[in-house]
Amino acid sequence: MKPLKIGITGVRGIVGETFTPELAVEFAESFGTYLDRGRILVCRDTRPSGPMIRSAVLAGLLAAGCEVVDLGVCPTPSMQLAVKWLKADGGIAITAGHNPWQWNALKFVRADGLYLNSTQGEELLDIFHQGEFAKAGWDTIKQGVQTADPIPEHIKILHESFAAEAIRAKGLTVAVDCCNGACSFLSPKWLEQLGCEVLAVNDNPSAPFPHAPEPKPETMAQLCAVVKAGRAAIGFAHDADGERLGIVTDLGEPLSEEMTLAIAADIRLRKKTGKVVTNVSTSSAIDIIAARHGGSVVRTPVGQAYISEGLIEHKGVLGGEGSGGITVPEVHLTHDSAAAIGLILEYLAETGERISELVVQLPRLTTLKHNVVVEPHRLYSVLQEFRATVEQEGLEIDSTDGIKATLPGGWVHVRASNTESMIRIIVEAQEKSAAQELLDWTRDRIRK
Amino acid sequence: MNTDNLCSSVFIRGYKTMRAIPTLKISISGVRGVVGQSLTPKLLTRFAQAFGTHTGPGTIVIGRDPRTSGEMVKHAVVAGILSTGNRVIDIGVCPVPTVQLQVRHRRAQGGIAITASHNPAEWNALKFIGSSGLFLDAAQARELLDIYHQGEYTKVGGAELRTVEVIAGATDLHIKSILDALGPLPQTNKKLRVVLDSCNGAGSLVGPKLIEALGAEVIPINVTPDGSFPRPAEPLAENLGDLCRAVREHQADAGFAQDMDADRLAIVSNEGEAIGEDNTLVLAMLYVLGREKGPVVANLSTTSAVEDVAKRFGCPMFLTKIGEVNVTDAMQLHNAVIGGEGNGGVIYPRINFARDSLVGIALVLHLLAESGKSVTELLESVPRYHIVKDKMPCPSDRITTVLRMVREQFAEFPMDTRDGVKVITKDGWFLVRGSNTEPIIRIVAEAKSEERAREIIDRVYSKVNFDRG
Repeated sequence: MKPLKIGITGVRGIVGETFTPELAVEFAESFGTYLDRGRILVCRDTRPSGPMIRSAVLAGLLAAGCEVVDLGVCPTPSMQLAVKWLKADGGIAITAGHNPWQWNALKFVRADGLYLNSTQGEELLDIFHQGEFAKAGWDTIKQGVQTADPIPEHIKILHESFAAEAIRAKGLTVAVDCCNGACSFLSPKWLEQLGCEVLAVNDNPSAPFPHAPEPKPETMAQLCAVVKAGRAAIGFAHDADGERLGIVTDLGEPLSEEMTLAIAADIRLRKKTGKVVTNVSTSSAIDIIAARHGGSVVRTPVGQAYISEGLIEHKGVLGGEGSGGITVPEVHLTHDSAAAIGLILEYLAETGERISELVVQLPRLTTLKHNVVVEPHRLYSVLQEFRATVEQEGLEIDSTDGIKATLPGGWVHVRASNTESMIRIIVEAQEKSAAQELLDWTRDRIRK
Repeated sequence: MNTDNLCSSVFIRGYKTMRAIPTLKISISGVRGVVGQSLTPKLLTRFAQAFGTHTGPGTIVIGRDPRTSGEMVKHAVVAGILSTGNRVIDIGVCPVPTVQLQVRHRRAQGGIAITASHNPAEWNALKFIGSSGLFLDAAQARELLDIYHQGEYTKVGGAELRTVEVIAGATDLHIKSILDALGPLPQTNKKLRVVLDSCNGAGSLVGPKLIEALGAEVIPINVTPDGSFPRPAEPLAENLGDLCRAVREHQADAGFAQDMDADRLAIVSNEGEAIGEDNTLVLAMLYVLGREKGPVVANLSTTSAVEDVAKRFGCPMFLTKIGEVNVTDAMQLHNAVIGGEGNGGVIYPRINFARDSLVGIALVLHLLAESGKSVTELLESVPRYHIVKDKMPCPSDRITTVLRMVREQFAEFPMDTRDGVKVITKDGWFLVRGSNTEPIIRIVAEAKSEERAREIIDRVYSKVNFDRG
């Protein structure tokens, strides 16, 4: 089975195999139909399939009668902000985020700059499956595509959201790995404007990804070396489209992507207590941190749209996921790695504390992640069977998203991936040995 | 367009026949359809994928006419081409022959011209060009259609994907090629003054530039390529009223009319009269054959005047089936010095194996400058014929019968049956041919006078029963 996932979060697949130009054309037509034409922004990350998918998307949107503004290569959050200030009706981001470079995907943004929620995602899918699209005639079709650069405005909004002067006064040395992705156009420029000494690596958007675009300790070796050699105060690692952030401490230690939210929450709750919105799969460290600062945690299903909606509903002060995606509500209600950078640098500048000093105070739990590849037609039955097994054993189940069970010493979370045909297992415990036991316990109960 | 009329029935002498007024035509000449109806981006993308699969990896040149749907069609095509691993060179809005020239100039694998030439504004189409710069011939086009229908396209991913290069100035290369081949106009006492009507088409920007570069004065009309159609795009005499008036008003030496994709050319005389698009090739031949002798190729629906001119210069003449690619194929085979079609298409192989209105303009301007004669005077030296074109409703299952009857009824005359039936009568000829696009039969007759040509057509009608039964 070749990978292709069409779901409420959009369409995602490998270009050259399943993700064809006609699929991209039809999804763009569906979206143009769903929004009843209007003004649509299009952006992409730096994958080699970007220009091909872009042309397909522009064709589909124009055919549906949309007015199209092409933002070129930019971080997805830059486009999400631009939807608001360019008064657009929606946007399409052409990016597979943290997926390998052979992948690409379409992500759909509505007029408030947030992703379609699950109901809207289903409505869009219905239009796609029905295959009846709006069609502009020769007398209404738009004759050209406009262009705009969303990055200066993104930087301006970031500047206004954080204590830029305090950061500038500090003159921090900051290392950043843009993974040759869309953030190559944003982060080095912004950090320079913040008066930082910038040690940028992999900031060439026309070069291929130097490593997997997923900010994890495994992909941050080069960044660690740069932090150490340049005696940087901190190192930041981007994914391909500017949603997820990984951190290397001033000691050159690469942190687990789960730590990004822990750090952001600790910083945020020190200044302003309130609710942190995260998904059910994210580390319990966040609960411990929230409790320390008199805050609380709201758990949602996995996916950015749920975090955004949770933040609105609960008036949260911070959102984020264990994958390294952070939402700072002052900037906007969606993951934005540049906003996370602002939050962290502001703290370092205002307190004079070092990031490694902050990190040692945070609870360190052991999180283990494991993926089980499953035939697509078995994906949901495997989950159901796991649930039945666990229930028979008399365990309490949280079914916000997939199956989360709390066991003595930790928890396990088992769910279907939104983007690939696999079951994701996450377990967490205090000690590594206990976590490994939980993982073995879970794997014993999953029957492909 | 009113969608209620997409499919209607007509009654032909009591027989009900479905007459689909097609909004989509997929054939060996490419894909053509109505935007907002059947010409969807998915269809276009798939055709481009089929083409990229057919050409194999390399470079594909893409150009378009200024129709409102051009940008949408272009992006759909670019996506399809890129997905097959080809590089795209986008040369923007330009004449079809400019695309053909670029294909050869860049040694590309092929090209796609996005234009529905003389069709109305709601249409658009893809025309496929091979690595030689010629349109795909029938065999190649059938292969392309087979790939399209089979739906198995080359797919590449990752590092094999190429990008789009946008090139400005493709038309400058076109102008340069023409100047290199023909040179500027010879110096005369009086600068030639011409009116150019580009129909707001692909020739709008390049046409005036070429005429000035040749050294003539140009008064341009309808040169705003914004997708609007100031007149029907086909440069037929009845569509050229504005041009005729402008020629008289400015006392110009000639008027030139292009179609939307600037491959066909019609001429208005110094007296402000449309001389008929058949005579464009006649004038071009007068210039070319006066400089070099060699074979001439035209299709069998072209005026006999071309045969007379070829004979006058002692050059062999070959007539082919209808269709540009048939003419260009025969031109290559016979090593022709010029060729073309009666619809205003002039093909001059020293520049391009393509119908090219810019080349036509340059040849005719050179003829005027060198001979010192007016369009009217030049035409007086050539036998004048009159062509009458008519059509008759005819169900598609009846066409072969009608053609057989024509062959039987006129058996005593010399005839050519390669494309319909062409019969050479005592003082002219007629051609009976089924339409590719509508349930009609087309009849073209040519004679020394219009009256005589009509008589020929009436004679066909009286001898051949076009109805059933």
